[in-house]
Amino acid sequence: MSLNPLPLSISRTGGCTLTGALSVTTGINDSVTIIHGPAGCAHHNFSLLHATILDNDCHIIPKVMSSGMSEHDVIFGGEEALMRSIMEVSSGDPGIIFVLSTCITETIGDDVLAVTQNAGVPVCMVPTGGFLGGDFEKGFSSALIAVSNLALPVHPTPGCNQQVRGSVNLIGEKNLEYEVEQNFMEVKRLVSLLDLTINLRFAHNITRSDINRLPLASLNILREPALSGVGDHLQSMFGTPYISSFPLGISGTLSFIRNVAVRSGLSPDEALDSEKEHQEEIFEGFSDLREALVRLTIPAENPEYPLITEISRAIGLRESPDGTVLPVPYPFPVGTSGIKRMLHLWRRTLICRAA
Amino acid sequence: MKQIALYGKGGIGKSTTSANLSAALAEKGLDILQIGCDPKRDSTRMLMQGRFIPTVMDHVRKEGDADVRLEDIMFTGYRGVRCVEAGGPEPGVGCAGRGIIATFQILERLGALKGDIIVYDVLGDVVCGGFAMPMREGYAQEVYLVTSGELMSLYAANNICKAIQRLSMRAKNRCRLAGVICNSKNMENEEELVLEFSKRINSRLIHFIPRDRTVQLAELHKKTVIEYAPESPQAGVYRSLAGIVATNELFTIPNPLDTDELESLAFEYI
Repeated sequence: MSLNPLPLSISRTGGCTLTGALSVTTGINDSVTIIHGPAGCAHHNFSLLHATILDNDCHIIPKVMSSGMSEHDVIFGGEEALMRSIMEVSSGDPGIIFVLSTCITETIGDDVLAVTQNAGVPVCMVPTGGFLGGDFEKGFSSALIAVSNLALPVHPTPGCNQQVRGSVNLIGEKNLEYEVEQNFMEVKRLVSLLDLTINLRFAHNITRSDINRLPLASLNILREPALSGVGDHLQSMFGTPYISSFPLGISGTLSFIRNVAVRSGLSPDEALDSEKEHQEEIFEGFSDLREALVRLTIPAENPEYPLITEISRAIGLRESPDGTVLPVPYPFPVGTSGIKRMLHLWRRTLICRAA
Repeated sequence: MKQIALYGKGGIGKSTTSANLSAALAEKGLDILQIGCDPKRDSTRMLMQGRFIPTVMDHVRKEGDADVRLEDIMFTGYRGVRCVEAGGPEPGVGCAGRGIIATFQILERLGALKGDIIVYDVLGDVVCGGFAMPMREGYAQEVYLVTSGELMSLYAANNICKAIQRLSMRAKNRCRLAGVICNSKNMENEEELVLEFSKRINSRLIHFIPRDRTVQLAELHKKTVIEYAPESPQAGVYRSLAGIVATNELFTIPNPLDTDELESLAFEYI
C-alpha cells in the first residue's frame, strides 16, 4: 500500500504523474515514449503536449505511443502488449525508448520494469501510476532522475570526460511553460556575465547522446526548489553542486549571480555591477509609472509577495486600496528580463485602467 | 428463474456442494445452468465426468471475445446441466476479478443466462469488486454461505455477509442472504455452532451436510454423489438440500458479526 498522500488541491504542480514525466522524456528529441496503458492516457497527454509545444512556436510532434491496453490485457496482464510495443518502437531505432506506467498497469500489477529489462534493447522505465500518491511534480522529478541514470559516469582518468570548469547545466526547465525559451535566454545571459556557458539543458531539446554530457558541468542550476531531490541525486552521482532555483526578483537575481560565482570559484563583483546598472536602466524606462496607485491582491505570506513589493517600490508605485490590481504571471518571471516583461504587462494594465 | 450463488472459504466444499445441488435439481426435471466463478475452473468437473471444460477466459485469451459462440464456452453435463467455467488469467498476472465481469457480460450477450435455476459457484473470498459481480447487477439474488464450524470458515462467511449488507443498501440491488449450508468437518458441536452463527447474522441454517466417505469416492470416480451413489444417504442429503433451495423464499439482509463476537461465539462451542 502506498503511504504517499494524494495531493489535497488541484494546482499546476498537482495533477497527473504521467504528464509530469512526459514533459521530460519528450524533451529528448530522438527518444520515443511508450505509455503502457489504455490509448486514452496517451491521447490526452499527446494533445496537451502538442498544444503546448505549438504555443511555444515549435512545430515538432511529440513522439508518444500507447501500448493500447484493452480489457483483454487488463484481465490477462498487459506485459505482452508492452513487449509488442517495445519491439515495434525499437524497429525504428530510436536513441532511447522510455516506458511510462499508468494507473491501470500499476493496479493489475504488471511487472513493467522486468519487461523493460528483458526487452533486449535499451529501455528506460519511469513508474508513473498517479493514484499511488504522485502528482505532476513527482512524475517530473522521477523522469529527470531516471534519465540522468542514462549518463555515463565521470571518467576517473584526468583529461578523459572530466568536469569542465566554466559551464553549467540547467536542470528541469519547465518545458510546458509559455516562456521556457525566454527564461533560458535570461539564465544564459546572467551566467555569461561570469563568462560561464550552458553545458546542457536537461532535458530540453536534446538527444540521447547529449545526456552523456550531464556530468561535465561544474554546477547544476535547478529550475525551482521542488527539484532539490534531483539536485541531490545528481550531486551524489557526479559530484556536481547545485543552486536550487532560477533567479527571481531584483535582489534575487543579484543573489543568483553571487551564488553562481561563489559555487564556481569566481569573483561576482564585475557581473553584479553590470547587472545592477542594467536593472537601473530598465526601471528608468518605466519612470512613467511612478506614483501610479496600485493594489496587490497576493497574500503577504506568499513567497512571491516580497518579490513583487520590491519591484513595485523600485519603480515608485504607490499601494492604495483604490489602486489598480497588478497582474502577476505564473510561474513568476525569471531574472531581470522577466521583471521587464512583467513591467510591460503592468504598464498595459495601468493604461487600460486609466482609459 | 432463480439465480443462486454459493460463497464460502476456499476448500470448504463449495464446488462439491454446487455440483451435487445442480445434479439433484436437474433430477427434478429443472433446467440448470452452473457457472464456476473461480480461475481454478473445477466447479463443474464432477458434472462433466471429470473433464476440465474450456473456460470463457481461455476462449477470450485465444480468440478474443468478438466471435465467441455459446457452444465454445457452454457444455452439457449430467442430466442436461449446462456448465460454464469463467476461468481467468494465469496465476500472478492480470486481474481475475475483471475476468469475472467480462464473463458475465459475454454470457448475457449470448443469452446464456436462462433456465429454471442458475447456480453461481464463487471463489472463497470476495477479494475485489469483480468477485462480487454475481451479487451485483441483478444476477444472483439468493446467496448461500457454505461453511464448516472452523473459525476461518465462519470468518470468510461473515465477510461475505458484509458484502451482501453493503450491496443491499443500493436502491436497485435485490441480492439477499438465503441461508447457511454447513458442510461438516466432523467437529464437535459443529452443527450447533453454525446454527447459532446463522441466527446471529440474521439468517438460518438451511441444511447440515454430514461428512461422508461417499463424497470422496464419488470424486475419485469423477462423478457427483447423485450420479455415483444415487441410493446413498449422502445423495439423499443433497436431494433434501435441493428441495429446500428450489422452494426457499425466506431471504434476509445479514448482520455481520464483529471479530470479537465471532471469536467468542466459536469459544462457546469448543
